[in-house]
Amino acid sequence: MEEFRFLELCVYNAYENMAIDEAITLAMKEGKAPPTLRLYRWRPSAVSIGTFQGMIDEVDLKYCRLNNIDYIRRITGGGAVYHDFDGEVTYSLIVPKGHRLAPPDILKSYKIICGGIVQALKHLKIKSKFRPINDVVTSEKKISGNAQTRRNSCVLQHGTTLLDLDVEVMFSTLKVPKEKISDKMIQDVKKSVTSIREVLGRHVEVDELGNALEIGFSKALKIDLVPGALMAKEWSDAQRLLKEKYSTTKWNLSR
Amino acid sequence: MGDSIYKVPGGKLLKIKLTPSEGRIRAIVIKGDFFLHPEETLIALEEFLAGKELDEVTLAADIQDFLDNAGATLVGASAADIAKTILMAM
Repeated sequence: MEEFRFLELCVYNAYENMAIDEAITLAMKEGKAPPTLRLYRWRPSAVSIGTFQGMIDEVDLKYCRLNNIDYIRRITGGGAVYHDFDGEVTYSLIVPKGHRLAPPDILKSYKIICGGIVQALKHLKIKSKFRPINDVVTSEKKISGNAQTRRNSCVLQHGTTLLDLDVEVMFSTLKVPKEKISDKMIQDVKKSVTSIREVLGRHVEVDELGNALEIGFSKALKIDLVPGALMAKEWSDAQRLLKEKYSTTKWNLSR
Repeated sequence: MGDSIYKVPGGKLLKIKLTPSEGRIRAIVIKGDFFLHPEETLIALEEFLAGKELDEVTLAADIQDFLDNAGATLVGASAADIAKTILMAM
């Protein structure tokens, strides 16, 4: 099986997480980083918004500041996500352009990579499926959201899988547009999203989800996950990106 | 200045902030949870649209041409959806 570098489940803040993802693409562009899968959590909890979204449109900044919740703009499109420290695990998969897991057809590549989430949930005894454009659903409820960018001669896809759902906090941090809710014919937005703990009715540990994701991605994508670490250049690029981009108001409030 | 929001059926959300001037676009900001590859194309598109006539059919064609020429891929919305949302902001 094809070997991927595996960066095991670890914890960073929002700025570090997004900076590391981009730093890996820079190293891969130079041919220095292998195809990589990383798993991570966000501490403090944070809201990330899609690269084309307006921060003030989407996020209640006052609530976030009062409750020690970071907010950040991603380099990927898609929607706003609340990353609860105890309630989700995020993955990033980075491969060079032209890799078999990232065909030119963007929807096809979402489906292929999201196969790792579907397989991970299957490992946890949850039946789920990919729902275009970029979600994984169980019983038509979203349990994972994903986003992709193609830059630096790479394809980067990252996404979150919900372990738990603190609906009160989630909707306190996000401003959900009414148009989006009505279009989906969902009166109660809480009914459109679920979590692993809700589906299984038991306390699933974060590490259990992390382990399931490792197994799921390996099996579905037919990759051998070899534990590794970031290289020194990736670390230094991440530190630079954190300082010059991801922690700045200029980037985060650019729209 | 006008704002509009349009949820593309089966797709994503588009938000437009439009500054019109004498039937043309003076300035425009396009926001939303759609995908556009490469992402930098959006700012170029906003600049391209400045000065264009506020006609939905022409705008849709111009936006599509612009995306084609840029080799860009829009996911979750179409050029016609963007044109429609722009007109909604008038």
